[in-house]
Amino acid sequence: MKNTLEHIGQYFLLMKVVFSKPDKKSVFRKQFFVDAEKLVIDSIPIVAIISVFIGAVIVIQTAYNIESPLIPKMYVGYMARESLVLEFCSTMIALILAGKVGSNISSEIGSMRISEQIDAMEIMGVNSANFLILPKIAASTLLNPLLMLMSFILGLFGGALIIGITGVITLSQYTEGIQFSFRVYYVIYSMIKMSVFSFLITSISSYFGYYARGGSLGVGRSSTKAIVVSSVAILIFNLIITQLMLN
Amino acid sequence: MITVKNLNKYFDGVHVLKDINFEYSPGECSLIIGASGSGKTVLLKSLVGLHNPDSGEIWYNDRLFNKLSFRDKKEIRKEIGMLFQGSALFDFATVQENIMFPMDFFTDWTYAQKLKRVNFCLDRVSLKNVNNLYPNEISGGMQKRVGIARAIALNPKYLFCDEPNSGLDPQTSIVIDRLISEITKEYNITTVINTHDMNSVMEIGDKVGFIHKGNLLWEGSKDNILTSQSKELNDFVFATELAKKLKSAI
Repeated sequence: MKNTLEHIGQYFLLMKVVFSKPDKKSVFRKQFFVDAEKLVIDSIPIVAIISVFIGAVIVIQTAYNIESPLIPKMYVGYMARESLVLEFCSTMIALILAGKVGSNISSEIGSMRISEQIDAMEIMGVNSANFLILPKIAASTLLNPLLMLMSFILGLFGGALIIGITGVITLSQYTEGIQFSFRVYYVIYSMIKMSVFSFLITSISSYFGYYARGGSLGVGRSSTKAIVVSSVAILIFNLIITQLMLN
Repeated sequence: MITVKNLNKYFDGVHVLKDINFEYSPGECSLIIGASGSGKTVLLKSLVGLHNPDSGEIWYNDRLFNKLSFRDKKEIRKEIGMLFQGSALFDFATVQENIMFPMDFFTDWTYAQKLKRVNFCLDRVSLKNVNNLYPNEISGGMQKRVGIARAIALNPKYLFCDEPNSGLDPQTSIVIDRLISEITKEYNITTVINTHDMNSVMEIGDKVGFIHKGNLLWEGSKDNILTSQSKELNDFVFATELAKKLKSAI
């Protein structure tokens, strides 16, 4: 418990340093685009593949579970849309990113710590936490909601694709369901969730990397911790945000 | 000039640095020698502010470094260059970008001006055509040279080197030692070097301090280290059979 409280305290102290004014705006801008490419753009293929397949699976499962002839078939599209927008495209994608991006950030910063590269920055007078972490947080928090939107669209496309292949319902029933009782608020809710989750993933992973100790084994340990803690934080904040925004 | 007064540092109750006092002058290579675990690296890291001493004073000319705010320390750090044991070059950057890194932060130079300075620094450490290589694409000796080039990029007043010869063959070690010594004298830098390499001591040790179990036991120069009466220093200096034979010859 004491250890956990120490970690939380140290995390907030680190965030205080991270959210100070960048030493030089031009360097921050350059680093923002570098991190945007590494953390967001490079995640597009995996997110796209997963979204298409999950969209297809949701449609098949929903279609086979609606046995009653009284329930219109267009509800397959409706339920697929709701599942994707409310939970899959934000929470599930965030959990996947916690593994992919979280371990990447943690091991990168951890390696820099144990090879004294962070010390080298500090001695130069550079705010290493600000330089290394803030662009990552900014890039993922601002751009990952777009990744969520892409995931939503590709999920729906995956559903349409499987309908075209299997004919489980008609495409017009599916599109009717997708449009049925559509609330833009749910998309906004999901984008906000993704933004918060992205902040948690990047800041927690950076924290564990920044304080990595004990050589390459220590970097591995910090990477594992980063994924586990980020995932748990995502689940907790998913509950909190849902309660706050949908209740 | 760097002046240290009554410096003490503890780690988990262990007294690592005990009442250290010294004064290092510009234009001199001052070497801190001692066995592994004697406190050399802690002392060097305390001097550059990576460790906060528990008591004592570290002066950079008339500025009491360890009592300054983060912002004021930053001003002194801009005057510091440091060469790390493992070079600590940034993996994500090429040789050129590594040397440009401090310039990006602390100058308003144009790209052309920065490139000119990079090439000057690389030329000064006798490296050519390595600008676009990454640190893992060059040898250990070349990495050390790039580390020196990066350290002198902004004309530092103070240069700190932590085990500059570690992992290098004797010939390359001498080249690196001489390079550090030349730069120190050429730019009138106050240079502090951590080492346990006696070749370095005999090559460039204008001033030498011997640390033993956290105490600064002996101070002198390369000229009188071989005739010292300190038992601990003699045990350290003449540890090998070859050195013992030399000692008996002296």
